[in-house]
Amino acid sequence: MTEMSNTANKDYDVIIIGAGIGGLVCGCYLAKAGMKVLIVEQHHKPGGYCTSFKRNGFTFDAAAHSFGSYREGGNMRRVLDALDLDKRIEIKRYDPSDIIISPDYKITFWADTDRTVEELQQAFPEESESIRNFIRHLTTAKPIDFAVLRRKTFKDFLDRYFQNDRLKAIISIPILGNGALPPSLISAFTGSKIFTEFLLDGGYYAGECMQALPDALAERFKELGGTLKTSCLVKKIKVRDNEVEGVVLEKGNNVSAKYVVSNADARQTFFELLGSNVVEKDILHKIDGMVPSLSIFTLYLGIDRPPETLPKAGTNVWFLPNYNLEDLYLSAKNMTDDIEYFMMRFSPDKKTILAFANAPFRDRKFWYDKKLKFIDTFIRKIETTLVPGLSTRVVYKDAATPYTLYRYTLNYKGAAYGWATFPSQLFTPELKMTTPIKGLFLTGHWTTHTQGIPGVAYLGCDVAKLILKKERTYKK
Amino acid sequence: MTNGNIESEVISIISDISGFDPGEITPETSLPDDLEIDSIKAIELTVALEKRYKISIRDSDIPEINTVGQIIDLTKRLISHG
Repeated sequence: MTEMSNTANKDYDVIIIGAGIGGLVCGCYLAKAGMKVLIVEQHHKPGGYCTSFKRNGFTFDAAAHSFGSYREGGNMRRVLDALDLDKRIEIKRYDPSDIIISPDYKITFWADTDRTVEELQQAFPEESESIRNFIRHLTTAKPIDFAVLRRKTFKDFLDRYFQNDRLKAIISIPILGNGALPPSLISAFTGSKIFTEFLLDGGYYAGECMQALPDALAERFKELGGTLKTSCLVKKIKVRDNEVEGVVLEKGNNVSAKYVVSNADARQTFFELLGSNVVEKDILHKIDGMVPSLSIFTLYLGIDRPPETLPKAGTNVWFLPNYNLEDLYLSAKNMTDDIEYFMMRFSPDKKTILAFANAPFRDRKFWYDKKLKFIDTFIRKIETTLVPGLSTRVVYKDAATPYTLYRYTLNYKGAAYGWATFPSQLFTPELKMTTPIKGLFLTGHWTTHTQGIPGVAYLGCDVAKLILKKERTYKK
Repeated sequence: MTNGNIESEVISIISDISGFDPGEITPETSLPDDLEIDSIKAIELTVALEKRYKISIRDSDIPEINTVGQIIDLTKRLISHG
């Protein structure tokens, strides 16, 4: 044990609610520094949106299907190195990471950025210099330079560089897919980070399936002395005199701690776990008015033999039917009967296909009626656009609806990416990592700071550092 | 608001965002190197200062910010021009 104040009579130094990647990374950093840490997870396995499951002999990644930011100095590399996990998990990079297919272009994102730049320049020769400047800026900007983007949309940012609307749409389709907002609505900061961290440095995969990542973090956490309780729901965060005391678990057990870190949905944290008698009304009012990101509809297909036309295993393939991303977003948001744009990926084990499309939240009843129909619509769409003959190879089909995402993670409205990252919702002071309640911290994609696996790993690590700085045990 | 008040208040905001104790923060302290101010924290910091002092930091000012002293000076200048 470290020399810690006020913790002698507490069960734990820190309790973390939620064993998603953010919670696990936070727990590992704190346990490594000698703190006594409990992570409580309501699902029966760790990972949050980064889990995998088996059906009929096929292994599927539930939602997260690759990650980025693993270059030298990238967030994921720094976190996994610091936790000595870089050698334990076999991390492969699939090259190319992404291919974008539109009616007129096929653009490939290679591990070699220069090659990607050349490919974009060949497709859009009149934008040659702007393409080079855009990518150079994103890959060499100092941290402070990003402050210029704080009030801008990604459209503002793209307009500074490019004239060609098709090029802008091609750059933006993975951002629409991975951020669930079109260029005119998504913040320039989020858009540029998705572009640099998911596309220019994307395509990484952990072990046999994505579950390898949370499993390795959970194993490391336990080795470092941490306790992970799965299948256990936190009912309340206990607060006295504006300071956290611990949590109440579902069977009424009280567990005390000096610090509580909530990696759970922010509405739940404030409205249910804390409650209106603890949090000021204007903060609750503010959070009540915030807009969550869209959810996703994810298709899982088991295939008996790979169709000849399938793209390389491990590569994300984006289908863009036209260049009007604003209308495409609205069609997804309003849930028309068709799926217009989507991403599909032939799994690294070459036995399954995962495809997803942005979708709005609807209740259980809605999906009970629509899910099968939507699965078939999606298969037909892939078959008519990218993979002829796909339906004759499918031997298993299932899907996760937005309601499924909610059911497994309790994320508000099955939101895939936390709060919608409009510039106006970015860095909302009420949802920063520290809270008005002493000892209570927030982490994960509901903090309005960042998202995606590298994003939440960064936040988990950063909250741990904040706590260690408070304890004066932080070492750079 | 005196200049001394602004200085200690800006340091307190930087402390809140970086997690480093105000005692470790001086005008010479480098934001990226000493306080690990990355792109996320750089935005948090500019947003927090703009909100606190009702100022608007211009795009052209941003690349010039490197040390705590520079951001204190910029804040003071923008308050007096406001």
